[in-house]
Amino acid sequence: MLSTLITCAFTAQAKLNVVATLPDFGSLAREIGGDKVNVTVLAKPTEDSHFVDARPSFVVSLRNADALIDGGAELELGWLPPLLQNTRNPKIEIGKPGRVQASQGIHLMNVPTNVTRAAGDVHALGNPHFTVDPIIAKAIAQHIAQSFSALDPVNAAFYEGNYKKFEATINAKLQEWGTALLPFKGQHVVAYHDSWPYFAHRFGLNIDIFLEPKPGIPPSPSHLAEVIAQMRAQHIKAIIVEPFHDRRIAEKVASATGAKVVEFSQFPSGLPGTDSYVKLIDTLVSRLAAALK
Amino acid sequence: MKKIILFALAVLPVAAVSAQEAAPAASSSPAPTVSNATPATAADMEALREQVQSLTETVKALQQQVKDQQAALEKANLTGESGLPQNPEPSPIAGAEESPAPAGNAPPRFPTEDTSVVSSTTAPAASSVPGVSASPFPASGGFPTTDTSVITSTPETISSTGAGASLTQPITIGGGRNYMNISLDGLFALAYSSARDLDHIEVGDHDPQQRGFNARNVELAFDGAVDPYFEGFANIVFKLDNDNQTEVEVEEAFMQTTSLPFNLQLKAGQFFAAFGRLNPTHPHTWDFADTPLVNGLFLGPDGLRGVGAQGSWTLPLPWYSQLIFASQNGRGSTGFSFRNPGDDGMFFDRITTDREVRGLQDFVWIPRFENSFNLSDTQTVLAGASGAFGSNETGANSRTQIYGADLLYKWKSSHAEGGFPFVKWQTEFMYRRFQAGHGADDSFPVAETFHDWGLYSQVMWGFKKGWVAGIRGDYVHMQDSMFTDDLDRQSRWRLSANLTWYPTEFSKIRLQYNQDFLEENFFLSAREVESIFLQWEFILGAHGAHKF
Repeated sequence: MLSTLITCAFTAQAKLNVVATLPDFGSLAREIGGDKVNVTVLAKPTEDSHFVDARPSFVVSLRNADALIDGGAELELGWLPPLLQNTRNPKIEIGKPGRVQASQGIHLMNVPTNVTRAAGDVHALGNPHFTVDPIIAKAIAQHIAQSFSALDPVNAAFYEGNYKKFEATINAKLQEWGTALLPFKGQHVVAYHDSWPYFAHRFGLNIDIFLEPKPGIPPSPSHLAEVIAQMRAQHIKAIIVEPFHDRRIAEKVASATGAKVVEFSQFPSGLPGTDSYVKLIDTLVSRLAAALK
Repeated sequence: MKKIILFALAVLPVAAVSAQEAAPAASSSPAPTVSNATPATAADMEALREQVQSLTETVKALQQQVKDQQAALEKANLTGESGLPQNPEPSPIAGAEESPAPAGNAPPRFPTEDTSVVSSTTAPAASSVPGVSASPFPASGGFPTTDTSVITSTPETISSTGAGASLTQPITIGGGRNYMNISLDGLFALAYSSARDLDHIEVGDHDPQQRGFNARNVELAFDGAVDPYFEGFANIVFKLDNDNQTEVEVEEAFMQTTSLPFNLQLKAGQFFAAFGRLNPTHPHTWDFADTPLVNGLFLGPDGLRGVGAQGSWTLPLPWYSQLIFASQNGRGSTGFSFRNPGDDGMFFDRITTDREVRGLQDFVWIPRFENSFNLSDTQTVLAGASGAFGSNETGANSRTQIYGADLLYKWKSSHAEGGFPFVKWQTEFMYRRFQAGHGADDSFPVAETFHDWGLYSQVMWGFKKGWVAGIRGDYVHMQDSMFTDDLDRQSRWRLSANLTWYPTEFSKIRLQYNQDFLEENFFLSAREVESIFLQWEFILGAHGAHKF
């Protein structure tokens, strides 16, 4: 009881230490927390978030964390569990106010009915690349606001206000983004990896052809030949690659089909000039619209 | 009369407060019962429930008194009745939501914020354009800003550990429906060597041991959360000896605490000693097809492991710094340089004593101190110092000390795909002081103290997604002796090069070339040996991720 009071008193004064596994959650945490939180992001925006090294310094960040925001959908399965095993921080255990699992309350897409690794690097809980849907981002931001308010009740109104602001911004921006992509409704777009079903769903696109034959499996010549044939038949104009993908492969396919390579990132700061979530989606929308024109 | 009313009014808030305090516990009771609550929690719940019940009864009795004695005071009755049953009710609802914020230890002063936040969960839905469909372009109105097809109104269902009932984070797969990870790892090798005694040239028990095919490590691995307090791990290894007979090892089986305060962690059972980099790891994570010489010859063919207990403490410093201290029996071949009776009762030419523990000095004590720094965003260094101290079986008071130092440097691209490209440089140095005594019953004429040392250093280069090239240099210096005739006491060095292809993280194919040079000593002549291994591996099931 006493220790709880002391903790409460302490957290009321100090900034909340927030750790986000991925840069998108980190960005949302900054939107909500403002100058009342210190946000540490583990994965780099430009690296493949499936394979992040469990660096020992992450243990230190997690040990000092008041809150941990992770995806909760097994994207970080390869590196978060060993970190948490070594962290020994009860504040960020699942079920505590200090733990936000972003996938909570979200209907994940493409949940495999039959889990087999013959299908490649398939996520048993469904596709975990969900933050690029702005409506989902709002839900995550709200969970973060709830968590921060619980941890730091003194500033609850501040967090709540920031959430409202973020919600309003997204709602306004959605009109803008939706209008920009409206002319391309129903068009097919090729992606290197299946990271974009939520983005496609939001804006009425079909991002359903991939350079990878199966998730996580490098492109093979025979598969690329099929993709090229499909792209020609359907007049597909854009190929989405992420910063860590081998752009040369995409360039080859693009030159064979006349399509454009569009550099995308799921994460704020993964592309130049995208240090916030809204700027990131701004960039994605304008880049894609330019390529599809 | 007035006194009674005052008393009743004074008691009621107290009862209400205590009911409120009990409420969070009572409300969270459904979750633990679903998830196999531990007896302690269940008992606590029961106690709390009883408390609440008795309090309720007391208050009811008081109400009754008030009612009987003061028929006119209906007001008091009303506040009593409305106050009492309400309190237990709202809290189960709040607990049932399982939303991240209010679950667990909902502080009493939070509820107001909670309800506002909950209502704001539904706020976007409420403020939404009516008739929102999954299709992003409704016929009229603006672009939709809500979508019930992607977001459930209450945060529930999906969580990597099921309903979030467990306090720990087990590594789960398949929607978190399993209580543990189960995996099978098969590691095989096809070997050719210019030496006919490959089982002597290769010093590790899981290394290729004969020309031709080898199945030295087929491993069942289990791990998961035991309960909210412990995690459990077990590795059961099956291996085929050179006559294709199956041997079984309980390589590791231990439990580990998850939530001790002050950054402490305890582990107990059968486990690998945290000595250096390689020793605590399983063969399938190794970068080469065989054990480095110094590990196999000092810590033993199976590594230094045994039944024991370990405590570790991460120091409250701004960088990663950890102290580990373990004690193990150190008996048998997995306590190789310690209380090891040796093959046929002989070790280093002496008949071993093979005795019971006499005191604390006969256990192996294993301290380790490790620190890690980030040189940059892409470069990490991990440095450690280890020790292993205990007695050995070659004499009445013979002791062994092993000291180790290890260094790991890793660079990984900031644009890594699948973890590639990377460069990893790993070096371990060990020094062993081994007092070889007079053997059992003073049967050996000479007592000697061996000062042996050795090291390996390897560079792995992951140059392309799935592809790793590596080189390794090995050296072991064994102090020469005119008295001790033992095959393992030959100074030697080795150069290795390999190329590994990982089609995915669940399979690999590796080609390795070794050149061994064994130096002449008092009893043995110099030799050169060349070996080639083709190693392959598969992993089935859910396998826990590895540490850095």
